[in-house]
Amino acid sequence: MAASKITSRSTIISLLIGAVFVVLLGARINSLENYTFARVVQDFLNALTLGSLYALIALGYTMVYGIIRLINFAHGEIFMLGSYFAFYAMTLTPLPWAISLLVTIILGGTVLLVLRSLFNLEEPKRTFALSLIIFGGTFFLLTFRKLGWVEGLTLSMLATGVAGVLLEAIAYKPLRGAPRESMLITAIAASFFLQNFGQLVFGARVRGFNAQTILNKPLNFHIGPETVYFTGILVVVPLITALLLWVLNLFVSRTRLGKAMRATAQDAEVAQMMGVNVNQVIALTFFIGSILAAAAGVMYAIRFGQIHPLMGLMPGIKAFTAAVIGGIGSLPGAVLGGLLLGFIEIYVVSLFPTLSAYKDVFAFVLLILILLFRPSGLVGEDLTEKV
Amino acid sequence: MRDYLLTLLSVGLAALALYFLTVSEGTSGLLSALTLIFIWGIAAISLNLINGQLGILSLGHHGFMLIGGYVTALLMLPARERRPFRTRLLSDWARNHLDLDKWLRGLGLDALANSIDAKFIIALFIAGLAAALLGIIVGAPSLRLKGDYLAIVTFGFGEIIRLLPNAPEVAAFTNGPLGIKGIPGNAGNIWWTFLALLLVLWFFSRLKFSSYGRAFEGIREDEIAAEAMGVNLAYHKILAFTISAFFAGVSGGLYASYLQSVDTQTFNFFVTFFLLVAISLGGLGSITGALLGTAIVVLVRVYGGFLEQPNPAWVGYLSGAVLMLAAFAFSAYIRKARRLRPVIEPKHFIFGAVGAVLLVITIAFFKQPWMQQTVQFFGMRKMLLAVILILIMIYRREGVMGRAEFSWKLIIGPREDIPTDEQRKQDAWLSNPDLNPGLKEDGDDDASA
Repeated sequence: MAASKITSRSTIISLLIGAVFVVLLGARINSLENYTFARVVQDFLNALTLGSLYALIALGYTMVYGIIRLINFAHGEIFMLGSYFAFYAMTLTPLPWAISLLVTIILGGTVLLVLRSLFNLEEPKRTFALSLIIFGGTFFLLTFRKLGWVEGLTLSMLATGVAGVLLEAIAYKPLRGAPRESMLITAIAASFFLQNFGQLVFGARVRGFNAQTILNKPLNFHIGPETVYFTGILVVVPLITALLLWVLNLFVSRTRLGKAMRATAQDAEVAQMMGVNVNQVIALTFFIGSILAAAAGVMYAIRFGQIHPLMGLMPGIKAFTAAVIGGIGSLPGAVLGGLLLGFIEIYVVSLFPTLSAYKDVFAFVLLILILLFRPSGLVGEDLTEKV
Repeated sequence: MRDYLLTLLSVGLAALALYFLTVSEGTSGLLSALTLIFIWGIAAISLNLINGQLGILSLGHHGFMLIGGYVTALLMLPARERRPFRTRLLSDWARNHLDLDKWLRGLGLDALANSIDAKFIIALFIAGLAAALLGIIVGAPSLRLKGDYLAIVTFGFGEIIRLLPNAPEVAAFTNGPLGIKGIPGNAGNIWWTFLALLLVLWFFSRLKFSSYGRAFEGIREDEIAAEAMGVNLAYHKILAFTISAFFAGVSGGLYASYLQSVDTQTFNFFVTFFLLVAISLGGLGSITGALLGTAIVVLVRVYGGFLEQPNPAWVGYLSGAVLMLAAFAFSAYIRKARRLRPVIEPKHFIFGAVGAVLLVITIAFFKQPWMQQTVQFFGMRKMLLAVILILIMIYRREGVMGRAEFSWKLIIGPREDIPTDEQRKQDAWLSNPDLNPGLKEDGDDDASA
């Protein structure tokens, strides 16, 4: 099976196209006089960071598509919510204790309810411990000092995960079993709703995400006469991404719920017959996808320094492209696609500066080409529809 | 015959009503709303051809409209408006050659070139053709892909078309993000859009019940069955995209000339979303529904301004009343549908209670100044449209009209579900075992099945 797959014509063609591109890039790099080693390092760091962020967002797309065959158009807006939650957590703290208590009760209560339903924590002892951790932790974090980016990231991930679950419960759950086009339309509507909701609640203007952390402190270094512009975030993003991927991999491959997720992705009906609670698995998928999107959102905001309610649009589209490149439904594929897209974007702009205006157009062209000629992606399963 | 006369009569009445609107004072707001309904109605009907009749979810309609808008703008731009472009971005070549006036005079058709109306019609036609050409390209992937993947591809095409006018190389023609301003044309005049809509309605209603329309609907229901019946899938799919794109281009041209300006933000993805709400609301696959949905959606957009400047007082009244009504309606519905004895469900009780508390608070604090302050709620209309679309998808996927069309028979004609005397006679013959020998066997078949 594997041998036949490798020797299949389309694989060979895509390998050939890839080889041609590599040769062209090499020629281009040789022909550029000012393309020094420092720029190679710089581009590599930038591409790795951007690719990691795309990979994190793409995972949410690919997981949701794998489970319920829905292109979650609103995922980019979840990403936006994540960065705004972190922004408010980091700028509004420390809160007065009364408000903090109120926020803790509302937010912690919702988080607790969602977590309990997601992870089967009905046992009283576990519930008690969890509620103690959540309520105590939230209250402690919000009341006493200004939050740093680590706490902001953590809180935002939790809150965004819950937001994702709520989105699924309100907008997508009533449409279980509906035609896929209807679900896509609903997702588009949810995306528009969240964009305008963001403009209404957060304000339409661009806000500086001024994380005064060591992450944005310039740590430039020199290679020969050239300077490499280096900040902590360039290392932190790939590291956190790798950590999250490791945890996700452990979760999906080692735990009962992960097994249930894999089973549901393979065949939801049969999984249901085998006793998998499919609704719970779907909600869990949205939770995990939103957590990853929130992590990406916060790090994106720190990296680029500003947030606005429409910021999720282009990263969302690009991450979706990445998921399609990797083969939608496949977790390693999403990571691979995300990294690939990050590298392509950075290197195209760096090597062909005149094309930088076409950066966004390029993402769409890539998306269309992949969907047209290799819809199963690089490592995805075959998606031929049967009669 | 009767139907034709009635149609003519109602068109005449509509025209008369429009005439009275145009001559009476203080109706400019209503007239511009009507113009918008007509323009967007053409776009919605053309989108309905792909999304409703052909059954392919297409999300690239804003691209077609943008092409139509830009082509109309470039062709119609008068010479004195072209000059300032030299200092900006429009290239000399585009300034000198993309001019309908020159083309017509070159062909010796001075009479046409002197009439702005004739030029406008020709420009609209060319805009439609340009969009139709693009429709062939965008429609081509539908031969390979299906469902949501195809939807994403059309979306990608639409977005590429939207992004291109801002790119530096193309900006020489399109003036980049600044757009083109000062487009003459008569679309602001309601008669033009009215006439265009009538033509479009005529064309699409003929198309729907022609062999082509049947073939489109056959493809929607089952591609393989349609192919087996001899429908050429590739031809019909591309044809539908081409026709739809043509009229989208025309409506884009009308809209550009109504606004007298065009830029890439005029035709962003929200346009397609807006049309999608309209046709989903009216009923996918129904031309009448598309027009109806457009009317509702445009009216929300034009007259929904008050939604964005509410004050707490009436928000309290409205939401309280809505919540209480919803609670009553839900519990009544559940009691009726499941034949429960009158038990109050906790969810409905909470709804009703929150509504009642809101109402009480609003009434109690009505005189307070903070109750009367106006709050700015930007984006409320768009959120409302999104919520409407989600609710339609959840509760009534077939929209208001379903796939039904308006017809005179529906209103005043003989009801088809009551058999005529002749049909009764036939039925009597069919159910008489002496006259219909096949009856007994049929009965047996039914029993065994």
